[in-house]
Amino acid sequence: MAEYRAIKIERGSGGFGGPLTVMPKEGKDKVVFITGGGAEPDIIEKIVKLTGCTAVNGFKTSVPDEEIFLVVIDCGGTLRCGIYPQKRIPTVNIMPVGKSGPLARFITEDIYVSAVGPDQISPADGSAVPAEEEAPTKEAEEAKAEPERRFKYSTNKKVSETLGETSKSSIIQKIGMGAGKVVNTLYQAARDAVQSMITTILPFMAFVAMLIGIIQGSGFGDWFAKLLVPLAGNGVGLVILGFICSIPVLSALLGPGAVIAQVIGTMIGVEIGKGNIAPSLALPALFAINTQCACDFIPVGLGLAEAEPETVEVGVPSVLYSRFLVGVPRVLAAWVASIGLY
Amino acid sequence: MNIIVNAAEGFMGLFDAGALTFVNWVSTIVPKVLLLLVFMNALIALIGQERINKFAKICSGNVIMAYGVLPFLSAFMLGNPMALSMGKFLPERMKPSYYASSTYHCHTNSGMFPHINVGEIFIYLGIADGITTLGLSTTPLAIRYLLVGLVMNFFAGWITDFTTTFVMKQQKIELKNTLS
Repeated sequence: MAEYRAIKIERGSGGFGGPLTVMPKEGKDKVVFITGGGAEPDIIEKIVKLTGCTAVNGFKTSVPDEEIFLVVIDCGGTLRCGIYPQKRIPTVNIMPVGKSGPLARFITEDIYVSAVGPDQISPADGSAVPAEEEAPTKEAEEAKAEPERRFKYSTNKKVSETLGETSKSSIIQKIGMGAGKVVNTLYQAARDAVQSMITTILPFMAFVAMLIGIIQGSGFGDWFAKLLVPLAGNGVGLVILGFICSIPVLSALLGPGAVIAQVIGTMIGVEIGKGNIAPSLALPALFAINTQCACDFIPVGLGLAEAEPETVEVGVPSVLYSRFLVGVPRVLAAWVASIGLY
Repeated sequence: MNIIVNAAEGFMGLFDAGALTFVNWVSTIVPKVLLLLVFMNALIALIGQERINKFAKICSGNVIMAYGVLPFLSAFMLGNPMALSMGKFLPERMKPSYYASSTYHCHTNSGMFPHINVGEIFIYLGIADGITTLGLSTTPLAIRYLLVGLVMNFFAGWITDFTTTFVMKQQKIELKNTLS
């Protein structure tokens, strides 16, 4: 009988689930690794060292489920990552894979943790260690002192039987596992990206596009642009123009696709070309026609920054107000800065 | 009868315009943003969350970094609207402010660097066109546009910090001020 200790396993960068606190028991003391080509992942050594358990290569030896206290896999998100969670056996995935594959619904945070490297494994703190009977010290010490040797021995035997090699994992296996990890990281990154695209960005786009359609389709946009152009003739007019464009809610109506700003801009450009507007006013004009900048796009933009729904709720009025506050000062600053231009 | 037909057509026309906008976004913004997201996610996973958090801490540590330097660099390197996605490295409370600043940056810098905002370039180009018609160089205008923008866009972000606090009180929602 060996002395077993609990370990805490946290998720690594880009990982999912956890932290898991696991501890081997008498008769349930095997950590099974089922990883690329039977190569042994580097975390096994640490798990064995910290817990005093036995490592078993799942590709070589099959172990009855009730003897397994922990499974280590390197599944890229197809099937294996769900099998053991389905059986409610704590599962560690080396790959940064979240809920995916046909058994995704079984992959939950209390039974599964991913993107685990040696740094994510630590001895569980005292409070988390379940009380255990005092083990005979001699055996315990032996287990403590020689877990690595015992572990190496069993691995060597199995590897030598199959590959005729003595090293724990050959260079080819290492390259294979490394490449697999990169590919899986990219795959998981793509899955996350598509997920946030579907759940946050596309809905916001649809909703904003509908508003834009109503504003453009009703002719409100062009009508309003024509209304504002006469203001552009002098500095004070531009300040008023900037003020109007920045009025909350109206600013959101003027924003869409920057169409109104582009229409007014083009019209002002024509007037400057004709000599009706002084060229130095071009600078404050640039600011004045765009004080409403992106007021229509706030939910989508915040979605791109992966903001929480509450942030969007607060952010929309907040940005509308700040545009209003900063709009006129922008035009004034530009007016001052236009001194000496042309 | 004609009135009904016209009304119906007018009503559908509203949604046609919206649908065009939507399709335009889906075919231009979505693929670019999606691939950028994949790239960023992968980069974060490969670099490691800890180092990213350090970077985020530097950015969110002071307002000049968050609303001055970060949006300027994001706009220059990523353009509109992908620059907006860099807000993810900031705490929730700073995201609206980053948005306020980075969206302005996507315009004020587009005179100098048109690649930033190809879709909405006519705001600048429309006015600059008049300057060209007069036979003057547009470069001084572009540079001043950028410089005034640099200062005022920072204030746009900074002021949003205050309006966000105000709206939070108004709506009784508390946004996190720390990185998640």
